[in-house]
Amino acid sequence: MSARGILGWFVDRFGLKPILDYMHKKEVPQHHHTIWYYTGSSILLFLVLQIVTGILLALYYKPTLEGATASVERIMTELPLGWLVRSIHSWGATFMIATVMVHLLAIWFTKSYRKPREVTWMTGFLLLVFSMMFGFTGYLLPWDDLSLAATKVGTNIPRAIPVVGAWVTQFLRGGDDVTGDTLTRFFILHVCVFPLLIFAVLAVHIILVQKEGMSLPLKAEIEKKKLPWLPFWPNFVLRETMIWLVLLGVLLSISILFAPSLAPTADLMSPAPEGVKPEWYFLFLFQTLKIFPANMGPVTGEFVAVVLILLAVVAIFFLPFLDPKPQGRSGKIVTYAGILGVIYAVVMSIWSLL
Amino acid sequence: MKLKSSLVTRRNFLNGLFGGWAAALAATFISPLVKFAWPPYKEPDEVTLPLADYKDMKPGEVKMFPWGAKPGLLKKAADGSYIAFVGVCTHLDCNVVYRPEQKKFFCACHDGWYDEEGKNIAGPPPKPLRRLDTAIEGEDFFVRKPGAKA
Amino acid sequence: MNARRALIIVTALVLALAPPAAPAGPQAAPAAADRPAVAAKPDAAAQAAAAPAAKPAVTKKPAANKVPVKRTEEILPAFQTPKEKTAVIVFYVWLWLSIGVLLYFLRWWVQEADRVFRARFYEPAESPRKDNPMPPLLGE
Repeated sequence: MSARGILGWFVDRFGLKPILDYMHKKEVPQHHHTIWYYTGSSILLFLVLQIVTGILLALYYKPTLEGATASVERIMTELPLGWLVRSIHSWGATFMIATVMVHLLAIWFTKSYRKPREVTWMTGFLLLVFSMMFGFTGYLLPWDDLSLAATKVGTNIPRAIPVVGAWVTQFLRGGDDVTGDTLTRFFILHVCVFPLLIFAVLAVHIILVQKEGMSLPLKAEIEKKKLPWLPFWPNFVLRETMIWLVLLGVLLSISILFAPSLAPTADLMSPAPEGVKPEWYFLFLFQTLKIFPANMGPVTGEFVAVVLILLAVVAIFFLPFLDPKPQGRSGKIVTYAGILGVIYAVVMSIWSLL
Repeated sequence: MKLKSSLVTRRNFLNGLFGGWAAALAATFISPLVKFAWPPYKEPDEVTLPLADYKDMKPGEVKMFPWGAKPGLLKKAADGSYIAFVGVCTHLDCNVVYRPEQKKFFCACHDGWYDEEGKNIAGPPPKPLRRLDTAIEGEDFFVRKPGAKA
Repeated sequence: MNARRALIIVTALVLALAPPAAPAGPQAAPAAADRPAVAAKPDAAAQAAAAPAAKPAVTKKPAANKVPVKRTEEILPAFQTPKEKTAVIVFYVWLWLSIGVLLYFLRWWVQEADRVFRARFYEPAESPRKDNPMPPLLGE
């Protein structure tokens, strides 16, 4: 029984031939923006890596108040190459969220969110939110003093949301304060709730991408020019494999050379340590909150900042409807808004580190 | 096309080379993860106990001591020497208990019985209870794996 | 009024009355917690009278107040044995060497796949493609 025979048997029993035929027929247009097509599968690579390293860490991690930091210490000191598995998981999170942001910007500036890809954009934005929530919930799990302080600040921010704010904070914290219950809650959000959510939304996102086909640059669509194309399988997949190899190499090298340490144990009673800051992808939000004055008329500065951030989030979520004719004036405004947004985020992030 | 004198075609040779190298790289990725996932916990070679806890035992008395993550059972024989057993049934790893009235060790899981010397006498246990060596040095009471160096 | 309408009204009443009843919940819990303590006292007294040599009742501390052992130093990632250090350095070199070799092979494979695609592209048996331009191949 040859390998091809066994594989053929599987394909026959599961009815996979239509999928294989589709992969051969799927066209990937070749143009000067083709390089951005690689960002989506790179995110998938990092997600798989996070799942594998996450499961390995969860074999030894204890999500309770007494056990959490001791179990992470054990992973880093006793278990063979535990520090490396933790390092890959920590850097993998950074790489994945960075790639998601690059992916978002690529779609933004090539205006691939336009009709008929509005739902793809919206599910994609949800995936960005989920990725950042993964990062937020995972950051608390080592239960060291830096992550406790960052979580206290992070879970305090939803309080400023009108109407539901206090309720959201109480749900995140499992009460009014950050306690051992918060830790267990964040653990189950991190390993069960958000994985299920992200798989569901990711499935919709990927199916929609296949259904709509690869998006074309705006000019090509207007001129109705048929661009040269390559088949997805095997040509594009082989190129993707090359990119994956390089990304894996970079991730592993950085994980080996710049492995994270574990700060002293969190103490709910002691003052906040020096240098508290959230993960890099939250820095610009952190700084935005800091620049508003404490009191602005009848409301707090924090309230105004949170409302502005919420408005921006809603605007980005509904971007395809705010920009229905991307080749026209609204398209130019969206492009400039995007450039301004990137400059704002970068400047705010650097400012928060000074 | 394959030359008559050649074992494989050039394509298969190169594909095999690539596949082999990729498989080797995948193995180097996976092996540390496998090592991480396989539990490193082992039984100790030796355990040190305070002699004070055990020197006042009466002959025929059995006391429990910790042997790593398992219970150990220390029995004082009639002549005053100590016998140490690993208090785990040789059938399916349940913890055994000493029944002083019957002078036997009993395993509740499947009704296994061992006599005072730890020999399996009734029920499913296939082997006698595992024995450990004992030694007294000053204030310390050592329990060791048989044959392990001090 | 029929059974279905009655059911809807009962459900609506239950849902309407549930929120006011909810704040009573957390207050009910401490009351419930008092009850086992009250019940335990006569038991403990009976035990003390009947069996003075019996083990004392185990008092349960509230589990939520356990705090972790405080560690004040930072744990830095480090190699545990010199063997591990050598293994990681060797792995690092092997990783980049392998990536180089595999990329070389993959590039070859991609060029081959592109060449095959180009050859099939111009097969007259397939649908006419004279209006479609040739895609740029890797390395062109």
